[in-house]
Amino acid sequence: MSNLGEKILVVEDDTQIRNFICYSLHSEGYQYLTANTGQGAMNSLVSEQIDLMLLDLGLPDFDGIEVIKKVREWSEMPIIIVSARDQDKEKAAALDLGADDYLTKPFSATELLARIRVSLRHLYKQGGNKQQTCVQIGNLKIEHDKHLVFLNDTELHMTPMEYTLLTLLFKNAGKVLTTSYIIKEIWGVGYGNDTQALRALMAGLRRKIETNPAKPRYIMTEIGVGYRLVND
Amino acid sequence: MTTQQNSKVIAGLKYSLLMIVLLFLASIIGYLFRMIGFPETNIVIVYLLAVLLTASKTKGYIYGVLASVIATFAFNYFFTEPYYTFAVYDPSYIVTFIIMTITALITSTLTSHVKKSAVEAKEKESETKALYMLSNHLTDAAEIHDIAGIAVSIISSVMNCKGACLCFDENGMPEKTFVQQVSPDKQIRRNVANTEDIKHQTEGLRTGYSIGTEFYDWLIYGRDNILGIIRIPTDRAALMTEAQTRLLRAMIESIALAMDRFRSAEQRIKYREETVQERYRGNLLRAISHDLRTPLSGIMGTSEMLMDMSKQNDPRYKLAEEIHNDANWLHSLVENILSLTRLQEGRLTLNKQSEAVEEIVGGAVHHIVQRSPDHEIIINIPDELLLVPMDAKLIEQVLINLLDNAIRHTSPKNEISVTVVKDEEHNCAVFTVADTGEGIAQTDLPNIFQMFYTSRAKHADAQHGIGLGLAICDAIVKAHGGNIEAHNRPDGQGAEFIFTLPMEVTEIE
Repeated sequence: MSNLGEKILVVEDDTQIRNFICYSLHSEGYQYLTANTGQGAMNSLVSEQIDLMLLDLGLPDFDGIEVIKKVREWSEMPIIIVSARDQDKEKAAALDLGADDYLTKPFSATELLARIRVSLRHLYKQGGNKQQTCVQIGNLKIEHDKHLVFLNDTELHMTPMEYTLLTLLFKNAGKVLTTSYIIKEIWGVGYGNDTQALRALMAGLRRKIETNPAKPRYIMTEIGVGYRLVND
Repeated sequence: MTTQQNSKVIAGLKYSLLMIVLLFLASIIGYLFRMIGFPETNIVIVYLLAVLLTASKTKGYIYGVLASVIATFAFNYFFTEPYYTFAVYDPSYIVTFIIMTITALITSTLTSHVKKSAVEAKEKESETKALYMLSNHLTDAAEIHDIAGIAVSIISSVMNCKGACLCFDENGMPEKTFVQQVSPDKQIRRNVANTEDIKHQTEGLRTGYSIGTEFYDWLIYGRDNILGIIRIPTDRAALMTEAQTRLLRAMIESIALAMDRFRSAEQRIKYREETVQERYRGNLLRAISHDLRTPLSGIMGTSEMLMDMSKQNDPRYKLAEEIHNDANWLHSLVENILSLTRLQEGRLTLNKQSEAVEEIVGGAVHHIVQRSPDHEIIINIPDELLLVPMDAKLIEQVLINLLDNAIRHTSPKNEISVTVVKDEEHNCAVFTVADTGEGIAQTDLPNIFQMFYTSRAKHADAQHGIGLGLAICDAIVKAHGGNIEAHNRPDGQGAEFIFTLPMEVTEIE
């Protein structure tokens, strides 16, 4: 996939991982800037035109979450978090605060580049065209104007809730959505954090679109964080 | 025994003599009074005085009573007409005799009583003093043997004997040596002939003492077990009076209290030290692991980069791949150590939520398939949604570890399966990870969930397993109130790991 030479800011304090990320970005033709502290990141963010930020949550000077909060005050740029495995809480918090995606160390270059592609695609979609009337991922197709869902060209019967959930996932295809975000989108703000209802809804949806709900083809579970609809 | 009888006889003789002398003196004074011409009533008073003195100077009621009777007869014999006979002319003297006897009896018993009370009070006082001294000294003790030493020295001085004390250790077994007071300011340690014997002797004794050849042994009972033995030499112990036994028991009680207090303080310190140590160990492990983790991620990324840069048939590709695989293995080891330290510290708070079993199993399988794409994993889950309260991340880890284990022992063409069923009877979810590998050696089965246990049945394989994965599974499942077990499949080749998670009935309508 070709890209437009987007400028990516890499905020990571470990040299080796930073080098590895930069090399991967370079080989794909992205431009990049680096920062190894939160302060450095803020400086680059105000002085440069940045298209996407890769942000390590464990920075030496201040919490990565603070960086996200500040950036979201003025910019909608995609932010991908890089975190250690035992930082689930921080990860979920960062995603709820507006980070777009996350990578857990150790990650592979392929994973990294795939996430960057997805996030950039969303950026362009947001800025440009309106919602498409018909979206297809694999053999799963949604026709928005008719509120119809097809799997292998057979129409599926969906409850309104399931349909809302599926369109929400389609809109954010490839992105991880936290459970609390999904609950808020579907049931509204006052609903609290009843994950059980979401799990039940998700189980129902999966039984309709997946051949084996425990080996999902479309909706992947990000345990402890949320769900992700595979992109292609 | 004979010495005791002798001393009693001597005391008896002494008191009798004293009584006779006093009565004799009274008679002489009476004689003088009669010569002077004092009325007879004065003589009666003098006799009463003699009786009183006798009662107060002797021990027990017997001499006082005897003196009053003798005094009456002496008065009759010497001072009533006809003199030097027991007969009387004047019948009014009969009244005098009776009143005199009664007065003498009352006086003597009263005196004896007062004396006895005084003696008792003195005994009580010395008991209290001894006990006070004991508990006062015991508070200074810095060690259990100090307590024994203090106890021995005070008991020995109170009982006036060569007392001894044998301490028992924390497990309730007698120690090899005991301390004995040999002179007022010297204590020695002596060897116990046979600790087993003593242990045996003490069993079944709840009160009282056991009699040995050299010592009478009084047990010191603590809250939970026997703390020691106070030993009083046999010859002294046989002579002990009721009061002394009572005192000894009271002293043993306060020794037991002191020892108990000391033991529990000791225990507390030990626990505290252990937790501190445990924390240090955990911190160290975590620090090391944490510092290893980041560079390992770097190594993995960089080696992957090198793989990308070289062609598949390039020998350098193979080298980079091996670096990557080793780094990957080290990384999972580090993660395992981190998980385990967190689990062991008990600081891990389970973030329990109702989770869909299919999601957890799916997540774990997805993770494994990415790493080992060659293996086929079959999933059997119930058709209806099964929600089980659990910490999703941790149970995923359990499944990953079990699957990882299965993959290591199964060749790619053989089948691995994950099955989840609901056990209605026990109200729990039963997870089974089964493989078709070589199974588990019988020698390994009992130890398989132990930490750092690796199979001894096979040749050592540096690349595979350091025996943490299953220990982590065990810890996590137990923390959930579940149960995990491993066995070979009854229907054929392969091993089977089964764990259960309680469903926790929540009857909300």
